Amino acid sequence: MSTPPNDPRVDELRQRLRSLGYLDAGVDRFVLGPATGARRPASLAFLSSLRIGVLAALLLAPAATIGLSARMPNLVTGPRDALVVALYLAAFFGLAAALAAFIAGVIVARVSRTRFAHGNRLPRFIGIIITLLCLGYLTLWWQTVIADVGWSAPVWTVSALAIAVATSLLLGHAVMVMASGIIVAASGGGAAARAESWTSMFLTGTVAFGGAVLLLTWWPLGNGSPRTPPPLTIVPTGAQARVIAIDGFDSRVFDDITRTRPLPALRAALDGATAQLDTRDLSDAGRIDPARVWTTVATGQPPAVHGVHGLETRRVAGLLGSVPAREQSPVGRAIRGATDLVRLTQPAIASGVERRAKTFWEVAADAGLRTTVVNWWATWPALSSAGTVLTDRAVLRLEHGGALDAEVSPPHVYEVLRTRWPDLKGRAVSIASAALAVSSTTEEAAIDDETRAVLRRSADLDAMQLVLHADVTTPSTDLAVVYLPGLDIAQHALLGEGTGGEPARVSTLSARLEGIKRYYVVLDRLLAATRSVVPNEVLFVITEPGRVSADAGARVSIQGAGLGSGSVQRRGVDVAPTILYVLGVPMARDLQGAPMLELFNHDFVSRYPVRSVETYGQPAATAPAKRGQPLDEEMIDRLRSLGYVR
Amino acid sequence: MSAAVPAFFGVYQAKTDRLLKQLLPGTGGPVERSMGYTLHAPSKRVRPVLTMLAAELCGGTADHALPAAAAIECVHASSLILDDLPEMDNAPLRRGKPANHVEFGEAIAILAAFGLLNEAYAIIARSYEPALGAKLAALLAEAIGGDGLIAGQAADLLATEQKIDFELLERIHRGKTGSLFNASAVAGSMTAGGDAASIAALSAFAKNLGLAFQIIDDLLDVDGNPAETGKAIRTDARKTTFVSFSGIDGAHQLATELCEAADRALAPFGRRADNLRELSAFVAARQT
Repeated sequence: MSTPPNDPRVDELRQRLRSLGYLDAGVDRFVLGPATGARRPASLAFLSSLRIGVLAALLLAPAATIGLSARMPNLVTGPRDALVVALYLAAFFGLAAALAAFIAGVIVARVSRTRFAHGNRLPRFIGIIITLLCLGYLTLWWQTVIADVGWSAPVWTVSALAIAVATSLLLGHAVMVMASGIIVAASGGGAAARAESWTSMFLTGTVAFGGAVLLLTWWPLGNGSPRTPPPLTIVPTGAQARVIAIDGFDSRVFDDITRTRPLPALRAALDGATAQLDTRDLSDAGRIDPARVWTTVATGQPPAVHGVHGLETRRVAGLLGSVPAREQSPVGRAIRGATDLVRLTQPAIASGVERRAKTFWEVAADAGLRTTVVNWWATWPALSSAGTVLTDRAVLRLEHGGALDAEVSPPHVYEVLRTRWPDLKGRAVSIASAALAVSSTTEEAAIDDETRAVLRRSADLDAMQLVLHADVTTPSTDLAVVYLPGLDIAQHALLGEGTGGEPARVSTLSARLEGIKRYYVVLDRLLAATRSVVPNEVLFVITEPGRVSADAGARVSIQGAGLGSGSVQRRGVDVAPTILYVLGVPMARDLQGAPMLELFNHDFVSRYPVRSVETYGQPAATAPAKRGQPLDEEMIDRLRSLGYVR
Repeated sequence: MSAAVPAFFGVYQAKTDRLLKQLLPGTGGPVERSMGYTLHAPSKRVRPVLTMLAAELCGGTADHALPAAAAIECVHASSLILDDLPEMDNAPLRRGKPANHVEFGEAIAILAAFGLLNEAYAIIARSYEPALGAKLAALLAEAIGGDGLIAGQAADLLATEQKIDFELLERIHRGKTGSLFNASAVAGSMTAGGDAASIAALSAFAKNLGLAFQIIDDLLDVDGNPAETGKAIRTDARKTTFVSFSGIDGAHQLATELCEAADRALAPFGRRADNLRELSAFVAARQT
């Protein structure tokens, strides 16, 4: 082969000739290549469609992966996930494009003998349709990607749209070539794919680019938030917040019990200003899911923003990320069942990987406050930047031992707790036993062994969390948080789906109801045994009716300096902002909740006006650190035994 | 130095000449003589050879493709007559002899051109079964019509003494040369019942070869020998040509690359297409 002369004009002309279909018109040959010897239009359509599918897979899968990552950030947690998703999407787009091209090819073959098929009209029409569809998709894809950065990256946007135009034109051209080939095959000659001129291609590209820009600007943009949060400065209020979250608490039952039995610790904790929380924010179509509810409370954002839609998720084969596992619709259930059956997906538990909004303790830690949190939902894997975190898997890890897999943060806390684990566990059992003993009354005979076992299990669980909470919290801790699941678990086991759905005898039901009431006493004693009040404490007790008493209403009781004793109606997303307000942390403007100022006295509010910042940003990278032995299976088994998952 | 015409050309040229002589002896009235004057002038018969080679490559025979090849040569001869007219390129020489209108006058030349065009369709109609004949006629009509020869010539006329861009020049060449090269290859394939992939490959071959052919034409107009080319040189001085964009060396280079690309398009046929590769090698090296 000859050597090209060093004349830049020749290089330029060579490129222009290529654009006009001369020299290496590779796509044309690629599309029609395998059709050698195929005389029937249908077989040509089939073989060419496969090649177009390959082209589409190569061109569209990377773009779709980026778009999907933006729309479902829980799914793609790193490059490995991105690669696997790209392979899935390559298969999807390849098949979809091949199918669409084949259908187009069959249509072309059907009308190839009509007047419309003469010349290049039909192939060009088909090519334009494909180009427009592809360009529309890619433009909207890019809009999804830039939803979080807006138009702050015009160079990237222009480049991306230029690539989208080029990709769309190439795919459209490929389909046009195929259509031309099919007409040739059907009619025995005539039309052949003709290259457009450089000028017309440039004009077409320019028009397409303009259209893409219009589509990009016209289509409603998503609500994004800047990713880089400003530094948080606090105005110290002197308050130390203590947060106790009690799941399964029914205030009507509580009021009923307190008529006959004193519950001094609970009564004291629930004293003060109160806000009834609108459960519409918390429930999902009337169904209470603990991970969804408590993440909403913790982040001050609705599930659509914080990303934790339910306790059960689905992990996609080959990915670290997960997708929500909602099963309201029959179609959704069928798809879920099918993908589970072929092992494409498998059950997983909601975790911090899915969460896209910061919790109030993470924000407080960002602001430099000392924080501890114990057993809150979806806290695993623990972030090292969020103070002391004993995740919802911490007890499991402490029981199993072994290398830490982000169940506790910072790691040295785990070492200390692990060393003292027998003592801590013994203390928890002791406190639980004492509480259960106090709860016994003359109606002991009405409690059967099964109910007693349920109460024992819940008491041990709650006692363990309270003991751990007391152990990691010091007088200087600014914010201490603990979540108590025992009451909800007991209710679920005795009155909910945990009973197996079989009709119970009246005597059995009576025993179970008595068991529930008795657990309120247990809870009261556990709090009394473990609570230590600090001088500047502002106590938040958040109660939520749980899975059985979903309609009972959630509420938060707040007591401490600066607070009144009123009662208001607020939303679940207002809890986190209120806690942060008490601590002197400014409010993020993108928070959907707001502090409940009406519960504070005028002096406090005027002394500490609400300040604001642009955003708290998003949680730090939450991909699980695979240092230790994961407890995924054990966690699922544990939650299944407690009735959380089926 | 003239590039040698490939040896296998002789057989196909002879077949073409024989049939054309038989169909249009060039005797009789002035129009018949005018038609024969251009049609039987010395020619390499590149297009008919391409038609017959394409037919053989697709499993047919040269003889069955011969009428289609002759028809295409008639169309080509007609285009040469019209192209040389004073209203068009006003060229005095063609195929080593005075141009048709110089010899017979403009009016007769125009009639002769129309006569050759009609003869092309008549040859096809007489030689093939109706279905194939109709397809070949449609193919020829497209090659000549608004997207083919006529479009190329019209664009060429409008561009005379105008500064044109590269894309317009390509469109002119595609119309004036490429369309008939493409029709030659496709027609041969159609007479042999060639499949779509074969037609596409041959079409790609013809497309690249046609442009290479035209670039060489432009080069010959600049530095060719009238004694060898058989036509006056620098008749295209008022026009933008490939050489205007790339220079002489660049045009040689691009013509060579186009011929190489044409060869690559024949890959599906393997060694069976060696004759066509020889044809492209000849086009790349031709001096006339």
